[in-house]
Amino acid sequence: MKFHQSICPRNCYDTCSIISTTHKGVLISVEGNPHHEYTSGKLCPKALDDVKKVYSPQRIRYPMRQRGRYSGFWERISWDEALTLIAEKILSLKETYGSSLPLALNKYSGNFGVLHNAMEGLFTGIGATTRTVGSPCWSAGVEAQTYDFGTFFCSDPLDMAKANLIWLWGVNPAWTAVHQMPIIFDAIDGGAKVVCFDTHFSATAARAHRYVQVRPGTDGLLALGFAKVLLEENLIDSNLSSYTLGHEEFFHYLENEISLDNCSEITGVSISTIRELALEYGKTHPACIWAGFGLQRYTNGGQTLRAIDALGALAGHLGEQGGGVQYAQFQTWRFSGAIQNPAHPFNISSNTDHPSIDSLTQNQKQTDRLLNINRFSEEALSCTDPPVKILWISGRNPLSQDGNLQQWKKLINQLDLIVVNDLFHSKSSEAADLFLPITTHYEHWDLNAGYWHYWVGVNEPAILPIGESRSDIQIAWDVSSKLNELEPGSCIFPTSGDEKETLLRELGPQMLDILGLKKPEEILKAPVRANFPSTAWENRIFATPSGRYEFFSSQASNARLSPLPIFVPPLNPSIDAPLRLLTPHHYSTINSQVYASGADNSDYVLHLAPELAQRHNLAVGDRAQIWNKSGLLEVVIQPLLGISADTVIIFQEQVEANSPLNCLIGTPLTDMGQLILGAPGFALNETFVNLRKL
Amino acid sequence: MVKQLGFVLDVNRCLGCGACAKACQNRNQLAPSLVRRKIRKIEKFSKDHIEMFYLSTACNHCGNPECLRVCPSGAYAKRRDGIVLHLSEKCTGCKSCVASCPFGAPLINPQTNKASKCQLCYERLDRGMPPFCVQACLTGALRLKELKDIPDNKLLRLTAPAPSLRLTRPSVFYKPPRATKVSGFLFPK
Ligand code: SF4
Ligand code: SF4
Ligand code: SF4
Repeated sequence: MKFHQSICPRNCYDTCSIISTTHKGVLISVEGNPHHEYTSGKLCPKALDDVKKVYSPQRIRYPMRQRGRYSGFWERISWDEALTLIAEKILSLKETYGSSLPLALNKYSGNFGVLHNAMEGLFTGIGATTRTVGSPCWSAGVEAQTYDFGTFFCSDPLDMAKANLIWLWGVNPAWTAVHQMPIIFDAIDGGAKVVCFDTHFSATAARAHRYVQVRPGTDGLLALGFAKVLLEENLIDSNLSSYTLGHEEFFHYLENEISLDNCSEITGVSISTIRELALEYGKTHPACIWAGFGLQRYTNGGQTLRAIDALGALAGHLGEQGGGVQYAQFQTWRFSGAIQNPAHPFNISSNTDHPSIDSLTQNQKQTDRLLNINRFSEEALSCTDPPVKILWISGRNPLSQDGNLQQWKKLINQLDLIVVNDLFHSKSSEAADLFLPITTHYEHWDLNAGYWHYWVGVNEPAILPIGESRSDIQIAWDVSSKLNELEPGSCIFPTSGDEKETLLRELGPQMLDILGLKKPEEILKAPVRANFPSTAWENRIFATPSGRYEFFSSQASNARLSPLPIFVPPLNPSIDAPLRLLTPHHYSTINSQVYASGADNSDYVLHLAPELAQRHNLAVGDRAQIWNKSGLLEVVIQPLLGISADTVIIFQEQVEANSPLNCLIGTPLTDMGQLILGAPGFALNETFVNLRKL
Repeated sequence: MVKQLGFVLDVNRCLGCGACAKACQNRNQLAPSLVRRKIRKIEKFSKDHIEMFYLSTACNHCGNPECLRVCPSGAYAKRRDGIVLHLSEKCTGCKSCVASCPFGAPLINPQTNKASKCQLCYERLDRGMPPFCVQACLTGALRLKELKDIPDNKLLRLTAPAPSLRLTRPSVFYKPPRATKVSGFLFPK
């Protein structure tokens, strides 16, 4: 038996450190690493199926070509054929258009390992190409926290155990960040009280002392209502003037623009509850707020986060051990970026000051055509000079997750070649011409950081690649090699390399400093915790232009936003689509990534208030239809407690339904995200539908 | 004194996440139909409280095991530490235990046509390791304890809703659940 260090690369708060066990080259079990203080020896149910996933009969083991998109008629081809096909197409397009812009990459977080950025490196190596910019996930919140604090940074998640009051706001860790739950339970054992704010009674709400139902998209107003009570009751931190900017203006706004009657009416929370909770938050120290990602997937999402931040600041909870307003962090991602920035004729200086995944590099700004990842199909269609002709989809499944499928269909028609690299077939591969089989994290080297905890570590291969699968970086080297074989000098990305050495080069001086290492090789021993203080902003010195916490942000006003956090209503339902549809994560999946061998359900389950079900004469198990101008979906009814009668919920479960859930989704955008991530985020929760019984 | 090992579940820590059940299934390499550990969701409401909790259940290693009583082939044994063992080599597949266990714990293995049930990972216990399910539980909700050491008033026996089921004296205990107080427009005045 041999043991190997692995890291779960999913887009998940927990980024677990895994010990995988092999016997004679076969992966036999995976367990949480007991020496990692966040994973603490445990894994979530998703990762517990990893062995099955690695050896799944459904896994694609060879490069495949589809004869006719959507035909399902896939034939096995050799790697050489696949690479030749891709390289020849790239070269002929370059010839036709005199540019490599017809070549587009759509990649995100299917695997968050740093070596997967080789795909960006390959594209940069080919020349100026069409790329995505922004994030479908967290943009508005990231920008909001940047206005307030100067950058977004959270405390070490273990810090939460010290809280006396924990507000879980729009976050469902019992399903999506399971390792935080024992920390919260430890705080409860120590006497802490936990309040959960959400649109529905979640598995996390069930473990809290108190659940407060908030109407979707009105959380910012609720935070401002709490702030107003703090002001009236004089529960404001008396030191505010020493470390914040613009609190007088903010007070003025609260006094003149926020009324509790209005706040209660709009949020659905009674005035007495608002008062009671505000007093408790103002008087209890330390008090921690954890603001979830779902909160900011609205057209007012950035303002919501700013209002919650401001509430934390007002009560003096910032920088407090066990307190603060926690969202996420990206400070442990300061990799050198060597992979995605091969030395390039256009590359004036390689920019390593910024973390690599979501931000643009200097290089891209000068050369690439950048399309908002959340409106990719529309923006790609509007590119005419030259048009987009090749699409490479990597670490994503846009045809299952993106909005505006009609535009996607049009785009697909216009494309000469669609390449997907993945482990399994997906909604997106149904439209592809070529499928390149990739390795799992048990079959390649990688380097991973978390965006919640502070740990960074190396993922070692535990077994040989299954079938003919190759790692993303190997594929990138191979494509470059084929391009250079056909036309020397056509790609400056390396044509071969060593995965381990490549990952060590990602640990530049800045990362080594953060991790307290002298040499990159030291990280091979075990995961390392970045040496940041456990409490974010503990000295109350902020990274804003003023060095203070900014209630009043000139950066926001420069971006044509209100300088103060304000309430902007979310979108309203229309008569044609009166119900808001929320599609939160399910415990068994991360977006379209699923792990069970077969789907448990053949239909999406629509959760709704018993009262709304009654109104439509619907009982458990009945079939119904929801629809809007984008599409139509058949669902099975399941009443759910603690949800308002103007909202319906479908959790993103694995379902063998004919039409995908995203057929109902458009491309509404968030208020913030442009400045920091290059594009506004996805206001996914601003989706509305109509309902009828079948 | 004879010992009695048993599962103790702190329902205020259980997420219903099913990691315990998955670990049991995967690590014991059980066929999909042989589910030894299950998660049940319990919901109760009052005017302004919701009590929603999960019960992670398996064989209860009963004090008076009905399976053992009815088995005509002597294929069940109770160890000194309280574990109720099913001895596959003596089992004829008559299904008496399957029919008689009030908790539906023994199931017929489709491959062997013999009964199969939770053996409390005794081979691991004998090597000083916790059962797979207990080891997998993320929150420490599920534990294996020597029940004789725990004061009675701290625990509830929740598995046996009907009084007759208590006859088997299931060795499984639950900490009393804490309800969540609910505010908002859920329960209008
Ligand atoms: S999905 Fe999340 S919780 Fe599960 S193993 Fe991966 S990182 Fe950990
Ligand atoms: S739960 Fe059923 S199988 Fe287990 S010991 Fe009791 S009677 Fe026997
Ligand atoms: S692993 Fe633990 S928390 Fe999860 S369902 Fe099982 S007993 Fe409950």
